[in-house]
Amino acid sequence: MLPLFLAMVIISTDAYADVVVIVSAKSHVTSLTPEQTARVFLGKANRFPDGGDALPVDQAEGNPVRDEFYAKVAHKNSSQLTAYWAKIIFTGDGRPPIELEGGMEVRKAVAKNPNAIGYIDKRDVNKSVRVILEP
Amino acid sequence: MAIGNHFISLLGIFACVASAEAASTDQPKVTFGGFGSLGISHSSMHSGDYVLDSGIPSGPGRSGAWSTTNDTRIAGHLAAQFSPKLSAVLQIDSEYHSGNTYQPEIEFANVKYVFMPNAYIRVGRLALPTFINSENRDVGYTYAWIHPPMEVYRQEPTTHSDSVEVNYHIQAGEVGNSINAIYGKSAIETNDFIKTNELSSKHLWGIFDTVEYGSTTIHAGYQQRRTDSEYLLTGDYGEVKESNLSVGLQYDPGNWFAMSEWIQHKSTYKTSAMYVSAGYRVKKFTPYLTYAQNNPGSFLPGFPAPTSEAITLANRAQSTVSLGVRWDFMRNTDIKFQYDQVRLSDNSNGFLANTSADVYGQTFHVISTVVDFVF
Repeated sequence: MLPLFLAMVIISTDAYADVVVIVSAKSHVTSLTPEQTARVFLGKANRFPDGGDALPVDQAEGNPVRDEFYAKVAHKNSSQLTAYWAKIIFTGDGRPPIELEGGMEVRKAVAKNPNAIGYIDKRDVNKSVRVILEP
Repeated sequence: MAIGNHFISLLGIFACVASAEAASTDQPKVTFGGFGSLGISHSSMHSGDYVLDSGIPSGPGRSGAWSTTNDTRIAGHLAAQFSPKLSAVLQIDSEYHSGNTYQPEIEFANVKYVFMPNAYIRVGRLALPTFINSENRDVGYTYAWIHPPMEVYRQEPTTHSDSVEVNYHIQAGEVGNSINAIYGKSAIETNDFIKTNELSSKHLWGIFDTVEYGSTTIHAGYQQRRTDSEYLLTGDYGEVKESNLSVGLQYDPGNWFAMSEWIQHKSTYKTSAMYVSAGYRVKKFTPYLTYAQNNPGSFLPGFPAPTSEAITLANRAQSTVSLGVRWDFMRNTDIKFQYDQVRLSDNSNGFLANTSADVYGQTFHVISTVVDFVF
């Protein structure tokens, strides 16, 4: 019984928030694949597939929504992500997305800018933004 | 290009930009960061020092059973974004090198201009991307190992050159391709040669290509340069063409990785080296296993006959089996432990430095630990 109990505890404490990828309601983008989203957030693409400029907006390090987003979309945990960016930053090849403190700030910034793309907890979605991916 | 002037003008530019006010939702104009490693290693070989790179004067072994010289360094990195198209970086590293000091040196100092959406030009001191981890070989935090396999990475010890670089990126669906062309010159400190401790080259040019598809990265490059032959082993008779052909393959789907690299180096002699490595990520732990070897090499025809000393120095053949683990025990910091079994080939002292006697064909053991951090 003990292993089962422990497993349940682990599952429940590990239970993720539901992360969704959003753009402004004013944006023309309607959907992206996880791979396309990863390329934008990892600095490998600076445009959406339709050709428009893409401005990724990150959540702060240590935020569980951020960890879930990168685990699902880019298959990287927080150390792997730090290592990935360290390689790019310290060779002068690029820099990571802008970081905002929480879901509300990300939603506000994305709502205002038709080029922006962010990710937030599904419960924080409102009419100002459009969900383009539920990874 | 005088790097001193370069450095001063860059500092001036950084100072100007630092005083500009940035809007809250914009990226900062100037960012400062850095990285470092604190490492210690032990070698069971008493007749020579185990040194990772030809610029390191001593290491564990003959000079002392334990040593911090191989894997200890700190670096600061300043980056400035003047406009969406124009940026600059300045990176200063302090690590143990010739003269037995940790005197800081400029690793990178360059200005980058994005002249087309998919292309940029960089001028100044910049990375020479021979290998997959050439540009970041000093940043231990960016890979699983304590250091990249020495048999391969020592074949091209130059990490930067004073050059002009053009990069062009093509994204075709899921496939990304970056092509890099470099022209310039380089100089590195080395203890490998009989007459000098600085190896300088000019008319350095190279073409490098990196293809990324999903979790797969393929990197290949060719470079050549003119190097003064007094630095080589067959005597002083003007300049000699040196060239490198390198190929690397990496697969990293997230919870494990496998990679391999190969290089062929030619000057007055020809040699090659390769490694294969794989690791598996279990939560915060990444155990890994690596096999690396470099071949004896052979002198090429058309040059003066090598002396017996030169023949001995040219044969660096050895192989290493490395077993290690990386533990991401806290944010932005890891600790690694690695065991290496090094087998020297017949008639080879491998990459041992300061040898007191020939130890051809022997096997020895190295244990190392390092803490890497980024900030």
